Amino acid sequence: MSDVLARRGFEPVMLKALGAAFIVFIVAYILIPVLVTLVMSFNDAAMIRFPINAWSLKWYQDFFASPQWTDALKSSVIIATGTAIISTVSGILAAWAFERFPIPFKNALYLLIMLPLFMPGVVLGLGIAMTFGGVQIAGVNLYGSRALVMIAHSLWAMPLVFMLMEATFRTVDYRVVEASYDLGANPLRTFIEIVVPMVSTGVISSALFAFVISLNEFVMALFLTDRDTQTLPVLMWLSLRSAGTPRLAVASVILALTVFACLAIIMVWYVRQLRKVSRN
Amino acid sequence: MTAQRRKQRTALLLLLPALVIVLIFFGLPTIFMARMSFNLHPDQRLFVPGFTFEHYGALLSNPVFTGAIWTTVKLAVMASIATVVIGYAFALIVWLKPPRWRLLLIGVALCPLLISEIAIIFGWWMFFPKNGLLSYALLSLGLVNDKISLMYTEFAAFVGLIYVTLPYCFFILLSIFDGIDRRLIEASGDLGAPPLTTFREVLLPLTWTGLLVAFSQSFIWTMGTYATPSALGPDTLWTVGYLIQEQMLGKHNWPLAAALSMVLVLGVAAVMVLTRSLMPKRASYHV
Repeated sequence: MSDVLARRGFEPVMLKALGAAFIVFIVAYILIPVLVTLVMSFNDAAMIRFPINAWSLKWYQDFFASPQWTDALKSSVIIATGTAIISTVSGILAAWAFERFPIPFKNALYLLIMLPLFMPGVVLGLGIAMTFGGVQIAGVNLYGSRALVMIAHSLWAMPLVFMLMEATFRTVDYRVVEASYDLGANPLRTFIEIVVPMVSTGVISSALFAFVISLNEFVMALFLTDRDTQTLPVLMWLSLRSAGTPRLAVASVILALTVFACLAIIMVWYVRQLRKVSRN
Repeated sequence: MTAQRRKQRTALLLLLPALVIVLIFFGLPTIFMARMSFNLHPDQRLFVPGFTFEHYGALLSNPVFTGAIWTTVKLAVMASIATVVIGYAFALIVWLKPPRWRLLLIGVALCPLLISEIAIIFGWWMFFPKNGLLSYALLSLGLVNDKISLMYTEFAAFVGLIYVTLPYCFFILLSIFDGIDRRLIEASGDLGAPPLTTFREVLLPLTWTGLLVAFSQSFIWTMGTYATPSALGPDTLWTVGYLIQEQMLGKHNWPLAAALSMVLVLGVAAVMVLTRSLMPKRASYHV
């Protein structure tokens, strides 16, 4: 009897201690590169070395004073915005079709739309670079253009939007949609005026996720951009290969801040929608 | 009948933008690459149309390429096992914790998902070398006598790889755990099963599908990446992804780069098919 009690008492305590130790380990593991980068971005020295002896905002000034880096940031934001628009529009329309219409070969089409998400970036980038390398549209080289990078990034972003929106459309109360039809609105008007407002949180979230994916991606962009259109992550990768300076840490922080700003927008929107619902 | 047909036409119209993107910018390049991998590559030219199995032959006979394929598979298997084990433990703990802890830990787990791979690489790049944080911390604690460097080792490459794939594994497994009735664990304990037995007899069978999906996700991702292992690992750590990039951007050998890419495509397809076949019939998870 006492043996059983001892075992039942001992093991949970040990498991609890193990669990606590594991949580400390995993939180440290995840936060180490984040904190190291944040600390290093305020370093005054030109070298990456610990301990840090002097602090300053020198590298932030340096970042914003350098046209090469601000241009890369601008390029990143333009490409990410384009990706968000392309993948949100195409993903939402496809999800709507899957939810509300009879589609032949549904499973095959589903797999086809999702497939690029599972392909390595290096394969997608290489394929597009080879296929569209020499193609010109109206005298402008497609290769090296921002449009091509936007579409390449959409190969990853669009399936995600599609998946998210398919789940969102499933929560819609379609009696309201039918009512709109009955009152004489055509399908397009119904979609824009009735359905889209009902799923606005899903739309905003998927657009911002698409934006974030494009903002962070750099392997496809490495294959598809040239000096004038290169994105911030590409420039970071190329300069890491030559020499690491605290400027890279600043670039990392700025990239991360942009992403967290997007996340904040999603959360604010979500809270606003919740309030609206509870008020009604 | 015509109403049905009109509906199908509308559906096709709605699907058109997505299909154009997938077919023209994914389907076409894949076919183009498959064809390219059989083209000739005489000196100093990108490629010359032709038909040869030379490049695939090289992949099977040249020790550099067979070595890279072996390295890629080995790295992917080892990193995926580690990721799944850590992710499983993490998800299990978060599942068992009270809600206020849960939100905090999920927030932490989201971090690697939201940060660019290049920023993650750079973060570890400042942690591992001689003048990095690790060496400084160990030195100040008196645990080592001289500066140490773990940079450019396979260990550093693993740390980076696991970091990037961990959140995917974690969220897949957490969603599986959330579908399990917690009372099953209590019931098993009340019936006298020690924790390990409960784990083996109750939890493991219930989470098998999630484990499979998490492993294959992580495997597919690790197989295709090259930035993290090539930036953090030793110079000799050549993966297929690294060789693709080298052949394409450095040596301008398009057919060989295409052939290497086809190896990756086939690898991804093989893992997806294998995962499907190992999955229980009733599971509706999409891989």
